[in-house]
Amino acid sequence: MAKALEGIRVLDFTQWLQGPVCAQHLADFGAEVIHVERPGTGDGARGVRSIKALPVGDWNQYFLVINRNKKSLAIDLKKKEGQALLCELVEKADVFLSNYPMGVLKALNLDYAKLSEVNPGLVYATNTGYGHAVEVNRPSYDINVQALTGIMTRQGEPGQPPIYLGMGSGDTYGGIMSALGIMMALYQRRRTGRGQHIDASLYGAQLFMAAPTLQPFLASGAEGYSTQQPRAKAGNPLWNRYRARDKWVFLCQENTDDGWRKLCQSFGRSDLADDARFVSAEKRAANHAELIAAFDGILAERTAQEWMDRWAPLGIVASPIQTLADISEDPQAWENDYLMRTHCAEVNREVEIRGLPITLSKTPGSVESLGPELGQDTELILADTLGISWERIGELKERGVIP
Amino acid sequence: MSKALEDVVVLDLTREFFASLAGALLGDFGATVIRVEDLADPRKVDHDRDGMHPPERWNSLDELAHRNKQSLAIDLGDAAGREILDKLIAGADVFLTDVPFAAAEEKGWDYESLRRRKADIVYARGSGLGPRGPDRDLPAYDELAAARTGVMPTLVQPGQPPVYTGVGQMQTAVMLALGIVMALYHRDESGEGQIVDASLLGGNMYSQSLDMQAYLAMREDRFLEPISRLDSSNPMSGPMYPSADGRWVTLAMPDTDKYWPAFAEITGLEVDDPRFDSHEKRCGEHRLEMMQVLEESFSRRPGSYWKQKLDEKQLPADLIEKYDYPASDRIAAVNRYVLNLDHPSHGAIQSLGFPIYMSESPARLRSMAPCLGQHSAEILQEQLGYTDAEIEALSTQGAIRS
Repeated sequence: MAKALEGIRVLDFTQWLQGPVCAQHLADFGAEVIHVERPGTGDGARGVRSIKALPVGDWNQYFLVINRNKKSLAIDLKKKEGQALLCELVEKADVFLSNYPMGVLKALNLDYAKLSEVNPGLVYATNTGYGHAVEVNRPSYDINVQALTGIMTRQGEPGQPPIYLGMGSGDTYGGIMSALGIMMALYQRRRTGRGQHIDASLYGAQLFMAAPTLQPFLASGAEGYSTQQPRAKAGNPLWNRYRARDKWVFLCQENTDDGWRKLCQSFGRSDLADDARFVSAEKRAANHAELIAAFDGILAERTAQEWMDRWAPLGIVASPIQTLADISEDPQAWENDYLMRTHCAEVNREVEIRGLPITLSKTPGSVESLGPELGQDTELILADTLGISWERIGELKERGVIP
Repeated sequence: MSKALEDVVVLDLTREFFASLAGALLGDFGATVIRVEDLADPRKVDHDRDGMHPPERWNSLDELAHRNKQSLAIDLGDAAGREILDKLIAGADVFLTDVPFAAAEEKGWDYESLRRRKADIVYARGSGLGPRGPDRDLPAYDELAAARTGVMPTLVQPGQPPVYTGVGQMQTAVMLALGIVMALYHRDESGEGQIVDASLLGGNMYSQSLDMQAYLAMREDRFLEPISRLDSSNPMSGPMYPSADGRWVTLAMPDTDKYWPAFAEITGLEVDDPRFDSHEKRCGEHRLEMMQVLEESFSRRPGSYWKQKLDEKQLPADLIEKYDYPASDRIAAVNRYVLNLDHPSHGAIQSLGFPIYMSESPARLRSMAPCLGQHSAEILQEQLGYTDAEIEALSTQGAIRS
């Protein structure tokens, strides 16, 4: 089948998460992505040994999944000759992507001014920590950038610690932002012939990610948007999290009289439907704490599945709050290719991986291979793409430019 | 300055925040985005359906989701209104909708019907749980998708209710926009349009992809339950410690050897403390003990003290801020992540800006979110060549509002 991004060549000089995820989206849809790595150790993510205090297992899923569908080129960019080789590749590339600090790129002669001179059509994409406009000399890990946005202190129950939104939650968002920027630049280049510099920073992406509460906070300054809000005082008791007998459910019912009557019907509680404290949307909102307490008592009487069975025929919208074990068996995830199976050469068996969140009907994404071995494509890329002779490749090896 | 998507015309028939936002992202970079509002079916998304977004002096989420768009208000229950939409489809590049699958077929807004009017249309759908599967027809509510994703129970401390963060929908908005631009890029080459799907489930799952992937690969129960903040795999990377005034500090020093001497100095630990003098000890046998010691140490001084010390030593660690931080942060402003605007009706306001920088074709705020039907006459005139008299007549008969 045709690939949407066939013919696009991306030099993916990135490490860890945000940059690699960006290039992964492009590789999934058929771009030729060359992961450029330092000889010896390669991308730092190759060294991941444990996750959440557990050994990583027999295959490094952290590195292999976000670098799937890519080639690996190992090259020593501290050597002038290595830099010159990469410049030759830049001439033949459409996109140069990096999440290394600007200072590092400049020191390696890989800054925008240099590379755009080599190839004026190049889309030069950076994933800085804090934006292109000013140089900020501080580290940008996912969690410490997330800490600055303010979103962590908004989450959870009052009095509880702030909540980190999950491993790499901000990096993956910065990654897809960057992919969108690159695609728009490539789209425009078709019309103008010119490339440009795009940047999607971790800070910028994470601020945008906070929009559902940050945007109303910016607009109103209302303190409630920036502080933890108790579940027991949710504004609409019909749209809230409740503990059923066995697990939690998320009830998502708009605060309408019709929805209210149906819920009372499902509870077998006509007395509640006529309770003067709850007869209108306004009253249910005003007396929310009492209503939530009443719901807590009622919902605890049955299992989540029993409630779902009662609610479905009445058109009441809700979902059990699943665990990662539940989603890994969920047909909705598998049938949409959000989860997939593929062969892992490292352990020589089929493994389960995160799949394709974007579905294109005629040019679907695919997973052809998991992440490459360090430098596995180095010689072929030099020979095929740059037309370098095998003799010279041998010399480059001798001088340690390539391994 | 040029615009990246200058020649792209998007018909935006969305209601849900995430899908509307996908249209706005394209509009920010120059696409002509026509928001088609149906006078016969005027139900709008209620941002306060969860009771947590009380009405403000201006509806800032609508402003974000519909900026840089034009509004066309037409009665799609009326033949004249439907004819206008048909003509617009014939000249459009993208049809963007979050109408449920069944309703789209009923309205004749399914892909097969639309491609008869515009053969190479890019047909983009935002849905709740994806285009396939037994639950494809459930409503496109971010909460439902988040509940299925599996991490709501694990992000909190043990014993706490599962948490809804709202960030999954933000992933989905960008996925939808990215899918559209990839499809447009392919159309340039091949001349063919196609269907683009992105769902809230896909977005929520991606937002949590590392946790999910770790569980898939390892199948360990540790990933299913909340982990105490004082049971981190690395005392110097990931955990949070409260300071004396209740402000929290978070550390991000995965390579503890590199930072250990400076870190030990400011936290009052001995560099050669035999319990903690190697990375293996800090992250291995003495990991839990070290977190207890750090907990005690951080609680002795206020947040401002720690911020100053951490900055002095250039350690990757920060105070966990509140939203007032980005609201007044110079870096957020100069990168236009946060905009300070003069709103025509509301005066000086702040809004989120543009997370993507493009040197040659930067995002621009060309217009605020339009009023209902603000551009009806203009669109009919400029895009479809209607005369003033025809527009007047359509307006009088109620087929359009302008």
